Amino acid sequence: MKKLLLIFVHSILWRKIFTFFVGLRFYNTEILKHRKQYILIANHNSHLDSMAIMSAIPFKNIHRVHPIAAENFFSKNAIKKFMMVHFVNAVLIPTRRAKNEGESDPIEMMGKLLRHGESIILYPEGTRGEPGVMQDFKKGLALLIQMYPDIDVIPIYIEGLHQTMPKGASLILPYNCKMYVGNPITFDSYKIEDILGVAKSSILDAKNQSSLR
Amino acid sequence: MNKLIPNLELGAQLQMVVAVIFSILVFSSLIFFAWKKLKPGALIEELVVRLKSWWVICFVFLFAALAGPMATCIGLGILSFFALRELYTHLKLRESDRSILLVCYLCVPVQYYFAYKGWYNLFVSFLPVFMFISIPFLLVMTGDTKDIVRSMGLMPSSLMIGIFGISHMAMLVCHPALNTNPDVGKGLLLFLIFLTQINDVMQFTFGKLFGKHKIMPTVSPNKTWEGFIGGLISTTVIGYFMGFLTPLHSWQLIVVSFSVALFGFIGDAIVSAIKRDFGVKDLGDSIPGHGGYLDRIDSLTTAASPFFHIVYLMILI
Repeated sequence: MKKLLLIFVHSILWRKIFTFFVGLRFYNTEILKHRKQYILIANHNSHLDSMAIMSAIPFKNIHRVHPIAAENFFSKNAIKKFMMVHFVNAVLIPTRRAKNEGESDPIEMMGKLLRHGESIILYPEGTRGEPGVMQDFKKGLALLIQMYPDIDVIPIYIEGLHQTMPKGASLILPYNCKMYVGNPITFDSYKIEDILGVAKSSILDAKNQSSLR
Repeated sequence: MNKLIPNLELGAQLQMVVAVIFSILVFSSLIFFAWKKLKPGALIEELVVRLKSWWVICFVFLFAALAGPMATCIGLGILSFFALRELYTHLKLRESDRSILLVCYLCVPVQYYFAYKGWYNLFVSFLPVFMFISIPFLLVMTGDTKDIVRSMGLMPSSLMIGIFGISHMAMLVCHPALNTNPDVGKGLLLFLIFLTQINDVMQFTFGKLFGKHKIMPTVSPNKTWEGFIGGLISTTVIGYFMGFLTPLHSWQLIVVSFSVALFGFIGDAIVSAIKRDFGVKDLGDSIPGHGGYLDRIDSLTTAASPFFHIVYLMILI
């Protein structure tokens, strides 16, 4: 049931809105086709980013892909929270690591998803920053990759969606945008700084690839 | 559905032109196919991509032009929407302009509705009179005056490039006095589209063959006096012999064809300069091998409205 709903909302509805109305063009999305589990990392400038990535994911897998969102941002508004959890398939996590027993820990929550074979969409910048400026990545991504080094990490660069729906806006306007899916990242070293550095440069690499198109 | 495609029974002249267009496509496809087999290379790959797009363009354009006024208005309306979207992607307007941008997009259906209804006065005055006054005022109402002059200039002008010129093609098939016989408007529309595209090809060909003296070296190094004049003369000659599509007489045909060639060149030059300022080669990549929509229809944006008004004056007055 949930799978059908997600296919309808994202693969059909949003996909059509993005291609015909917004003018978003998808490049290299066939990379997602024959893989079962992955960690997708992307730059984050608009609320539409999650919908754009979800609409690029093949039918078969869509119910097992979860955008990761900040709990304290979305739980303020009950409707928003409901929409995120049920229509976007998001998992809401706290933004701070657990200090005491009994609190839920974000890394542990994401690790649990990965252990069960689910995929996640992660915005390593942590927040929607200024358009075009890549902020420093949060450490959580590196911790996850250290724990699960066998899962493919796929970088995605989204260009222009911040014009379609910038921070604070509620109106979606058409602009030509691009989304480029890069090749899975191979890590040579699993030190935290190295992982973050490689992840950042691979998203920037996807950015360069998309500007060539 | 009956209203969308009333009946595809076309006059003998229209059928002939459609046949000619498709035989050109088939002929060049065969040549390219043989060329690709004999001498594969990068150039022919590029040309094949372009030709494939031409097939799609011809099918879509011919269907929109010939399947009746409603199909023409809807088709051209979508084209206007795509053209506007390409412009706004590059214009870098302010965030406070977003709500007014919605107004600009909404001008598309309104303008094409006027065209579909054949309301000539509203059609010609809506954008250059009413929107040119209301959009700056709406911008003032947003209260953000920083850089407002830039938006006041750009947003109404974008409507002229994206909507006003192109919508005159819809008016050709919808104006009640021009279309006492439905084939007249279709013939004129086909004549205009065919001639602007031929003009592009002729200016390119003459420029490549004889081009020496550049007209505007800082804007577009490909435009030469030789190409311009060669294109002007050959388009006028071709237009004269294509005259059976229109109800015009000989000297009228010469004037109309000459003006299509001239204004087509102007549109090409204007869009080239816009691209130069944006620092891009093409405005998009929606049509493989051709760039964006505006790159393909650049000469139509300025050739259509003068064509309509000259023909209007000649036939109706």
